[in-house]
Order: sequence, then C-alpha cells, then structure tokens
Amino acid sequence: MALLLLLLLPALGAGLLPLLPERQRLLRRVALVPALLQFTIGLSQLGHPPSELHQVWLPRIGLALDLGLDGLSAPLAVLIALIVLVTVLATPADQARPRLFFSLLLATDVGLMGAVLARNALLFLLAYELVLIPTTLLLAVWGGPRRAQAAIQYVMYGAASGLALLGGVLALGWLNGDGFSFAFADLAAMQLPTGSSHWVFALLVLSFGLKLPVVPLHGWQPLAYGQASSPVAMLLSGGVSILGGYGLLRFAIGFLPDEWILWSPWIAGVGALTAAYGALNAIVQSDIRRLVAYGSLGHMGLLVVALAAATPLSLQGVVAQLIAHGLISALLFHLVGLIEAKTGSIQIPELAGLLNPYRGLPFTLGLFLLALMASAGIPGLAGFVPEFLMFEASWTPFPVATLLCLIASGFTAVYAVRLFNRVGFGRLDNDRVDYPATVWSERFPAVLLASLVVVGGLWPGLLVGWSESATTALALRREPFTALVAIAPSASPRQIPS
Amino acid sequence: MANIIETAKGAGCFATLLTAVEVAGLTGALESPGPFTVFAPVDDAFAALPPGTVQTLVDNVPQLARILKFHVLSGAYRREQLIEQTEWESLEGAPVAIRRAEPFEVKNATVVSADIVCDNGIVHVIDRVILPG
Amino acid sequence: MTPPTATAPDTLRQPLIPPSTHRYAEVIHRLEAGGSMLPDTPENLMQIIGIYKAYAVPMDFYWRDLLYIAERVFLDPLPAFKYFPSQEYLDLPNSYAGEQSKLRIWRGGATAHPELLEFMAKGETTAMPKLLHHLWHDRINMEFAEACMEAMFWHQGMGGRFYDYLECDAYKANADRAIKAYFRGNPLMLGLYALFPEMFLEQVRKMSYYANLGLFWEVMAPVFFEMSDIYDEGGFSGVPAAMDFLVNGIFAVAGRPIYHHVYIGGECLEIIPKSEGFTWLYEAALPYVEAVFYRTAPFRGTKSYNAQAGQVPSEQADFHYGILYADVFPVGSAGIPPTLLMQDMLHFLPPYLTELYAKHKRGEGDILNQLGVTFQRSMYNVTSAVIQALRCALLYPLDDNDPEHLMANRRFFEAQMDRFIRPEARLPQIQTQDYR
Repeated sequence: MALLLLLLLPALGAGLLPLLPERQRLLRRVALVPALLQFTIGLSQLGHPPSELHQVWLPRIGLALDLGLDGLSAPLAVLIALIVLVTVLATPADQARPRLFFSLLLATDVGLMGAVLARNALLFLLAYELVLIPTTLLLAVWGGPRRAQAAIQYVMYGAASGLALLGGVLALGWLNGDGFSFAFADLAAMQLPTGSSHWVFALLVLSFGLKLPVVPLHGWQPLAYGQASSPVAMLLSGGVSILGGYGLLRFAIGFLPDEWILWSPWIAGVGALTAAYGALNAIVQSDIRRLVAYGSLGHMGLLVVALAAATPLSLQGVVAQLIAHGLISALLFHLVGLIEAKTGSIQIPELAGLLNPYRGLPFTLGLFLLALMASAGIPGLAGFVPEFLMFEASWTPFPVATLLCLIASGFTAVYAVRLFNRVGFGRLDNDRVDYPATVWSERFPAVLLASLVVVGGLWPGLLVGWSESATTALALRREPFTALVAIAPSASPRQIPS
Repeated sequence: MANIIETAKGAGCFATLLTAVEVAGLTGALESPGPFTVFAPVDDAFAALPPGTVQTLVDNVPQLARILKFHVLSGAYRREQLIEQTEWESLEGAPVAIRRAEPFEVKNATVVSADIVCDNGIVHVIDRVILPG
Repeated sequence: MTPPTATAPDTLRQPLIPPSTHRYAEVIHRLEAGGSMLPDTPENLMQIIGIYKAYAVPMDFYWRDLLYIAERVFLDPLPAFKYFPSQEYLDLPNSYAGEQSKLRIWRGGATAHPELLEFMAKGETTAMPKLLHHLWHDRINMEFAEACMEAMFWHQGMGGRFYDYLECDAYKANADRAIKAYFRGNPLMLGLYALFPEMFLEQVRKMSYYANLGLFWEVMAPVFFEMSDIYDEGGFSGVPAAMDFLVNGIFAVAGRPIYHHVYIGGECLEIIPKSEGFTWLYEAALPYVEAVFYRTAPFRGTKSYNAQAGQVPSEQADFHYGILYADVFPVGSAGIPPTLLMQDMLHFLPPYLTELYAKHKRGEGDILNQLGVTFQRSMYNVTSAVIQALRCALLYPLDDNDPEHLMANRRFFEAQMDRFIRPEARLPQIQTQDYR
C-alpha cells in the first residue's frame, strides 16, 4: 500500500493541480500535501524489511507494475520526497504560471519515484523517460536568458540517454534465455553471452553516464544547471541526478557484474577525469550557479570512482553520497537563487560584501559557507561521511584515480574560498546596494536542508545506515580491511568479510 | 602726547577694548615705553561677535590676553611701513596678515583710522576683532 | 528628490561675482547664501537634531570619564576600572549647563543626564552590578571616545599650540613632577621611570589628550541637548538655523580654557595650567574636527590595507577615513569604532527617529546603518558650522559689498570643498534623501 501511495500521491497531485485556479498560495499548499505525505510515508518505510508489490500490467511485452522498497530504494525515495518538498517550499511567491509549474514538479516526482521503486526494467525505463519531459519543460519555461538552448541540449542528451537505456533494457530482456522477462529478479540471475554482454553493458553505462553526468558526456549539465531557475536546479541536481548513480548501481553492477569488474579501471579513470574537470572548471567560473554546477559535476566523478571500486564500503559511500550530494546541492542552488533574487546578480565580479551583518545577506551567505564546507568534506558535515568512505574503499583498487579525486576534492576548498573572498567579504557598493533582507519563508527550506546536512555529518547512520545490507549484497570486491566500520556506527559486524 | 591707553580713553569708542585690557592685566604693559603697534577694534567690532564670545574671554584671563596680544605688534609701525610686508608677527606669536593697502586692511578687518601716533606706539583703529588662524 | 536650490541673500541685488564652476558649485552657492552643506529639508533637520540628542547622552558619559581618566586614573599601569568614573565625576557640574554655569548653554541640569544614569543602571538587559554590565558589554562604549582621542594624539600638528607645548621643557618638568608624585613610594615604577623616562612622558601626553577631548565634549553635550530642546519646542526654522546655533556656540565658547590637571593624593598638579592660554577653539575644536571628521585611521575589520602598495597615504594630512568619508555599511563588522558609537546612540534615539528608521530600508534590521548615515549627515552640518565659523572669524560677512572680499570667501569655500572631491567623500550622497 505504501508503495502504491508513494507513486499515486504525486500523480494525483499532478493531475489535480491544473484544475485549480491560478492562485500561487493555494497551489503551493496543495502541492505541499502530496510531497509532505510522500515524505512521511517514505520515512515510515525506512528500516523496514524489503517490501514488494506485483501487479500484472502488459504481460505480452513483459511490463508489470513490480514495485519494491529495499535498502537501496527506501533512502533514495525519502530523499526524492524531501527534495520535492523543499523545492515546493523554495518556489518563490511570485512564481510565474504556478499551476503548470507545480504540476510539472509533481510529474517529475512521479517519474523519479517510479524509477527508484521499479522492480521491472521496462517500468524503470518508462519512469526514466517520464522524468525527461516535465524537467525539460521546467527548464524551458522558467529559467535564464539562454534557457531555450539549455532545454534543447538537455532534452537531446536526455533522449540519447533514454535511447541507450531502451536498447540496453530490451537487450537485457530478450537475451535473457528462455522467454523474455524484465523483472529485476530474473535479470539478476541471468547469464549473458560474453559478446553481447559487452554491448549491453556499453549501452547501459552510456545511458547512465549521460544522466550523472560524467566527462565527456556532461555537455548539457553546466548550461542546464546554470540556466534553470533555482527550484528547478534544486530538483535537477538533488533529485534527477540520483537516477544516474542509482541506475549504474542497479543495472550495471547488479545485472552485469563481470563486465563491471572488467571495465572498472576505465570507469574509475573516467570518474577521476570528471572529478578533476569539474573542480578545475569550478575554480574559473564567474557565475555562481555555474560554479556550483561544476562543483556538483566534480563530486559525481568521485562517486563514479567509488562505484568502480564496488566494495561494500565504497557502495555504501555511493548511496551516502547520493543523499549527501542531493541535500548539499539542493541547498546550494536554493541559496544561489536567494542571492539572485535579492541582489539581482550571481556574477562573482558584481558582488561583494554580502556577509555584511546589516546590509548584506549574512544568513544566506553563512549557510552558503556551511554548504560549501560540507561539499568540501569538512568533518562534522554530511559531505565528510561519503567522501571518507569512498576514498578509503577506492584507494586499494584504484590508487591513482582516488588520489586524483582527493586532489579534486581539495579544490572544493579553493573555489569556496575564492568565492567567499570575492562575494562575502570586501565592501558593499554604497551606490548600488539596496538589498531586501531574506524572509523566513525563504530561509526555511535552507534551514531544513542545512540542519539535515549537520545532522548527517554528526550521525552518519542517517546516510549509510539504511542501505548497508543492499550495498553489501551488490558489492563485487571484498574489503581488504575493516578499520572503517568504526566511523559508521550503524554498520554491523555482518559486513566484515570472512 | 598721551600713551596708548590714554589715547584710547580719549577717543571714546574703545570702552570694550579698554575693559578687556584692564581685565587681562595688560594696561600696565600698554602704558610702558614699548613701543607697540596696536590694532584697536572699536566697540561695534566687539558687539558684532556672537553673544557670549566676549563673556567667555573675560571669564578666562589668559585666553583673553592671548586674543588681545594678537592685536599688538612689537615696535611702532605706520601704515606705509606695514604695507611693505605681507605678514607681521604679533605678540601672541601668530602672524598678522596685511591683506590690502587701499583700502588698508589688516586680516579681515578694515582700518578705519590709521596712524594715530602715541608716545609709546601707534594705534590703527579697525572695524572688526581679528583672530589668529 | 531634488534639494532646494540656494537663493541669494538678496535677490534684488545683482550678484557681484560670477557663479562658481567648482564640482560642488551648488553646495558652495548654498554656503555663500548662509546655508549648510546639508540641504535644508524638514527631514534632514529632524534627522540631525534627533541624532545630536542621541549623541549628547553618551557624550555626557564620554567627557566625564575622559576627565576622570586624565585627572584620576592617570598613569595607573593596570587601569582595569578606568571606565567606571567615580560618583564625583558623574556629579561634576557641566560648565555650560545648570544653575552654576557662567555661560548657560543648556537649560537642563549640570550633572550626568538622567537618561544616561538610567541606562548605566539597567543597560539593555536589567539592573545588575556594573562590573557585569561592563563584561557583558552592555554599557557606554568608551572605546569609541578613546579612538577619537588616539586619532587626535596620533595626527597632532593640526593647528593650535597644544602639540608643541607637549614637547617643551615646562611641560616635561610638570609631567616629571606628576609622575614622581603619582608613583611616590613605588620603587618599581620609579625605577622603570628612571630607565625609560620617555615612555612615561608619552603616557602623560596621552593623558593630556584625554583631558583635551574631555573638555571639548563637555561643551558639545549641552550644545546638542539645547538644540534638541529647541527643536522639540519648534524653534528651528530649518537646517541653516540649526547650523547658525552651532556657529554661535563655537564663538561663545571659543575662549574656554583647555588644560590638564591631575589630582594625586588630594593635591592638584597642573600639568598644563590654564594660564598657558590654550583655547577651546584653537587647541581642541579645530584639531578635533581635522582628526576625527576628516582624518582618523583606516578601520580594522573592513578591509586589509597594504601600505606598501600605497593603499594608505604616506602623508598623515592625506588621511581620509573620518566620518565625512566613512562607508557606514560595514558598521557592525568586527572592531570598527563607529559601530561602538552607533550602538551607544541607539540607546538614546528620540522616538521620531526610531519611527523614521522603521519605515526605511530594513527597518529594525539595519538601524545601526541608518543611524550611521544620519550621523554622517549631522556631522556634515557640524562641519558646515565650523566652516562658516572660520569664514566668519577669518574672512568676510556673506553680505559684504566688496567683490574682492566675496571672492576671498569663495576661494575659502572652494578650498574646503576640494577636500570632498576624493571619491570616498559622502558629500554627493547626503544631497539626496535616498542615501540611508
């Protein structure tokens, strides 16, 4: 029942909203209801034993409404619900065309939720494609001056990703020996012929690589994040980017483990490249939103290296990173949006002195600093736990790639300090400055996310506790050491390799 | 011939100045052989100062003496001697500027009657109290 | 909003000199017409008078404590309690207020202002021992007064004879007597004095500046209180009237003696006797305006200045960090003396200013900035009064008939305005009401 509700609530909301009058406050409250319920239901499912739901839909093509919540899906479902919730909360009060906006927001929610809940590859594909349409519209209708270009690039890359996934999923199903099936259970058990498995693997990795994204498949990302309005950027970076990591985990590692082991050095290399590329680009950006976008790209690189390592700990790190990155980047994009709304600019050279206690935006900038510190992996904040897990676990299989990621991660501090030095300190321009102060309704989503970032840092179990058995089951390499169990208090002795 | 104090008393328009000199204890000095050059502001000049100005000075003798000394040069100088130099050192220490020869102006005051010769110096009557600075 | 343009004192008369071509010609013409650098608007009048009142209350504490430090704390090597002036100093009758004053500027009482006493008892928090108020920083910020004193002490040489006197033998002899008397029976300090006499002498000089500033502000507090009372009675017709009151005040107290006495063991030692003839105008007011309004020093906390890169002028006379140039937006950042003053004034704002601030910008949120801007406006008015007073003392009446005299006035005003040509000057901003 919970499974169905998770999916139905936003679908209902998305269907209902267009029927309501175009009144922003009303629409926002109505949109909050499914988001809030969904979040509560998700929370209630955390830590429960895996639950599943089977409903035959179109058996002739192998499509079934197979839904499931396991250690992997549940925390991600909660994260998605949370991101949608704060996105609704963070939507400015003067949002243009609110009916369409909230409706598309909830439609995206349906797709995202469907993807992480799906226990059928074809259903996953459907949900995956469903996400693309409303997000493209969200990007194209509300955004910066180059939003049309951004939306076109986004939809092209998204379509390519979808096509690759379509090919991969169909191949998986059809090559699945006697009688095709797309059920995850069957896919996990199958053995593909070596020759064809290379191709299937390549298609899947291409598809999710485009979504994450990784270098050199990232072309759409800086532009899309840079042009999207802040709530949409929050949704894209915090919610939609989960799909890439989750897909690699579920499909590539889960269904084609031998291929993954075979190609993992290359994948780790791509990850390291992405990390370095993202960090270096972030340093030279003059637009804060693009800076955050490249920073996010850099952190995805690290995630890919950890995926490549595929040890129990590194995979725990991956799930934790998906959650932490979702929280942190949603927070960052919200704050960037606040800066833009208040100052009218997010160009670093045009801003200065925003930490000024009375006439600046001290609250916004203070949380921005917190978010950047979390992103840089400062202990005590949510970014530290996954980074530490991933570094430690990836070090043995891929020392060079991990080292590169470490350095790239260090660059987070470089662009954070640079940004702060320019934007936070210095003098407010007396002639230009007349910034309104932030109000509590704008602060609330930031406070919510920031407190979770802090709680996640102090209580790593929040990030890693729910997924350990699932990730341990997926791991392809053994942990060569056990010292790290100590930092994740919830990690149980089961995980220690025999 | 009369000395500077006697001359001033005789003129009848220096009541404030004479009182101030008396309070400041400078009467004796101006009766001494000198010689001095005195720029003597008329009563109207003191009256033109904002209210309280003179009172505060009269209440504080050293400060009053300082302002008065600014009106006195050591040595007797006539108009034609004075205009040869742009500045003259006053007894107060600060320079007194001679701004113009015709009309004869000492700092921002105009000399309404120049070259009144006394036996211990020369008096030039001015229409405004001059201040150092 | 456009400021009202200056009208000639006598519109029927042809102007005797051509209009100024200075960048601030409008301001200069206003000054020549007997106005202030601050445009004459009802709101400006309200702002400056309100802030004078809010300034006068802490100032009533500043001057008392400055004199207490100069005269009683003196060379205490550990002056932990220097911000706790004795009751005697809180009751010290102001020479320009109360019944006993020879020249009564303020019609109010001679001892510490009642609002000040109330604040000292309660603070922002509640009544508690004054040491706790002090440690909680819920108090009058004497650090601001000391910053002003240090600006005067450091810049020196800004006219007057005070600075030269501190170097002369008579002063050194007086200081020597005071040092030996103060440390009588203290062989350690006397030994140190024998080893480092200049160090002790320099401390005494600093104390002399404490006295100087204390005596200066003793006058300003009643002047501002009286202005506030006159305004409340509806007595000021506009900003120029308020400025004229200041001009007259400057003249009235110009001859007030500046001195430094020290009380050691019940004995009064005159380090700078009144008989030196030092006056309020020349030895205190003019150096104060120069040091505090114009020069001061770069504030720590707002910006790192690199002296090697020429970001700090090599000549002290070129310093331009005073309130007339100050960027009040960083007020509230760490370690900035104006923040301390704004905080002090905040406690004594008249209700009409609190209402005004609530209506603009961030209301309560940035009230320190808003009152900082008001303070800037008010100090432009005080500076205008000083400029007009100097013009009056050294130059010619505004209605003089001699074109040469008028040109001399013009040159003087233009020279004063030249000091505001540098980009940091806030003169252009205060011409409009938008700058808050």
